[in-house]
Amino acid sequence: MKNRNAAISILLLCLLALGGCANLGVQPWERELLAAPGMQIDPDPIETALNEHIFFSKEASTGGLGTAGGGCGCN
Amino acid sequence: MRAALASACGLLGISGAAAAATEIGSAVLGYTEPNRVSAFEAVVDARQIFADGKSINGRFVYDALTGASANGAVPSTGIQTFTRPSGRGSFDTAAGETPLDDTFHDARGAGSLGLTLPWGRMTQWSAGIYGSGEYDYVSMGANSALTRDFHQRNTTLSLRGAYFHDTINPEGGRPVPLAAMRPAGVAPIRMEGDGAKDVTDLGLGLTQVLDRATVVHLNYTYSNVSGYQTDPYKVVSVVDGTTGLPTEHLFEGRPEARHKHVLFSEVARHLGRDVVHFSYRYMGDDWGIASHTFDLKYRWNFRPKQYLQPHVRYYRQGEADFYRRFLVAGEALPQEVTADYRLGDMTTWTGGLKYGRTLSNGHELTMRFEYYAQLGDSSPANAIGALRDLDLFPTVDAFIIQAGYSLGP
Repeated sequence: MKNRNAAISILLLCLLALGGCANLGVQPWERELLAAPGMQIDPDPIETALNEHIFFSKEASTGGLGTAGGGCGCN
Repeated sequence: MRAALASACGLLGISGAAAAATEIGSAVLGYTEPNRVSAFEAVVDARQIFADGKSINGRFVYDALTGASANGAVPSTGIQTFTRPSGRGSFDTAAGETPLDDTFHDARGAGSLGLTLPWGRMTQWSAGIYGSGEYDYVSMGANSALTRDFHQRNTTLSLRGAYFHDTINPEGGRPVPLAAMRPAGVAPIRMEGDGAKDVTDLGLGLTQVLDRATVVHLNYTYSNVSGYQTDPYKVVSVVDGTTGLPTEHLFEGRPEARHKHVLFSEVARHLGRDVVHFSYRYMGDDWGIASHTFDLKYRWNFRPKQYLQPHVRYYRQGEADFYRRFLVAGEALPQEVTADYRLGDMTTWTGGLKYGRTLSNGHELTMRFEYYAQLGDSSPANAIGALRDLDLFPTVDAFIIQAGYSLGP
C-alpha cells in the first residue's frame, strides 16, 4: 500500500510538473536532433523485447516500456 | 529511406506527408549461464505503413531452452536425491553443490499481430493480439492503446491496456503447495487440472520534448495478476534446527493474487554527435517486493554511419514477504512460501557493448555482447549448522550475444 501511494504520488507530481509547462518544447523546424537515429525513446524495440524476456525470467520485476506481465511460462 | 522520411515527417508534425513504407527487423540471440541454462531466441518483426497513416505489424518469436535450473533446495554436506517433476525418476546433487534440476528444456513459439489507425491528425488508436505456446504453458492476450499529441507534438499522452490468459499444465501435474516431495515411483501428491492465471495491465504514458536535444518519457503501469502463480518445479528445504541438514523438501506455494505498480522514466539527450539514454524504473507489489532499476546507454557515433554503444544496468530487489531460504523442522508451516532465489534479495549487474552500422543499401546491422551477473547473500545470518559453511546464493553469471539486421530504420 505504501509502495502504491508513493508511485501514484510521484506520477501525479511528474504529470503536474510537465502539464504546467506547456511552453516546453520546440518549433517543428527545430527537430533535427530529435529526429536523429537513436533519439527515439525505444530505439531498438526488438532488443528491448529480448532483454525484457531475459529479465522477466531471471528477476521479480517486469514492465516499464512494455507490458508488465504474461506471455511466458519462464517465471 | 522512405521509412526515414515518414519518421521525420511525423516528428516534424507535417500532416498528410506520410509515405508508405515497409520496415522489417530481425535478431537472433544466444544466452548461456555456464553449467546452467542455455537459450537461443530468434525474432522477426515486420511493419507495413500505408500512405494514409494506417499500419499493420506482426512479430514472430521462437526460443529454445535447455540446461539446469536451481530448484530452490539448499545444498548439503552429503549427496541429495531429488525426484524429477514427472515423478518417474530422480537425480543426485553432490555434497556442497546447489541442487539444479537438469530436466529444464523447452521450446516456445510466440506470435503477435497489431493494427494502428490514425484518428484525425493528432490521435492514434492501436490494437493487437498475442499468442504463445510451449510444452507446458499457453498464453493468449490482447492489447489496445490510445495515443494523442498536444502542443505541436511536443507532448504525447498514451493510455494502454493489455490482458493475458495463461494456462499451465506442468510435467507430472501441479504439486499440492507445501506437500512433501515423494521418492520416485511413489505416487506424488497432485492438484486436479491445469493452472490458470489472468493478467490485466493498465498504463498511462507521457512523452515530453524539453528542448531541441532532449526528450523525456514517463510511464505508469498497474498490473493485476490473478490465479495460479506458483512455480510447480520449485521446492523449499526443511532443515534440522541444529545440524542444518535437510530432512525433507516441500513444494512451494505462492499467493493467487498479485498487484504490481511500475513507474518508468527515461530521458534521451542528443549531445551534438552522440546520444545518451538514461532510465529509472521502480516496481512495488503487494508480495512485498520493491525494486529499482537504473539503465544507461551511450551511443558513440564515432563515424557517420557507425556507432558503438556501451551499456550498464543495475537492478536491486527486496525479497517477497513469503520468501524463505529454508524452513526449520518443528516450526509451524507458513501458508505460502518460496525459496526461488528470483523472489529473494538480489542485486544484478549488466554490462555490454553494441556495435551498429548502416550499410550502403540503408539496412542496419547490429551486434551486441552483454555480461549479466546475479548476486545475493551467500551466508545469511539465520543459517543453521552446516548451512553456515555452504554457499546459499552462488553468483549466477550469464553471457548474451545478439546479432540484428533491419530493413528500414
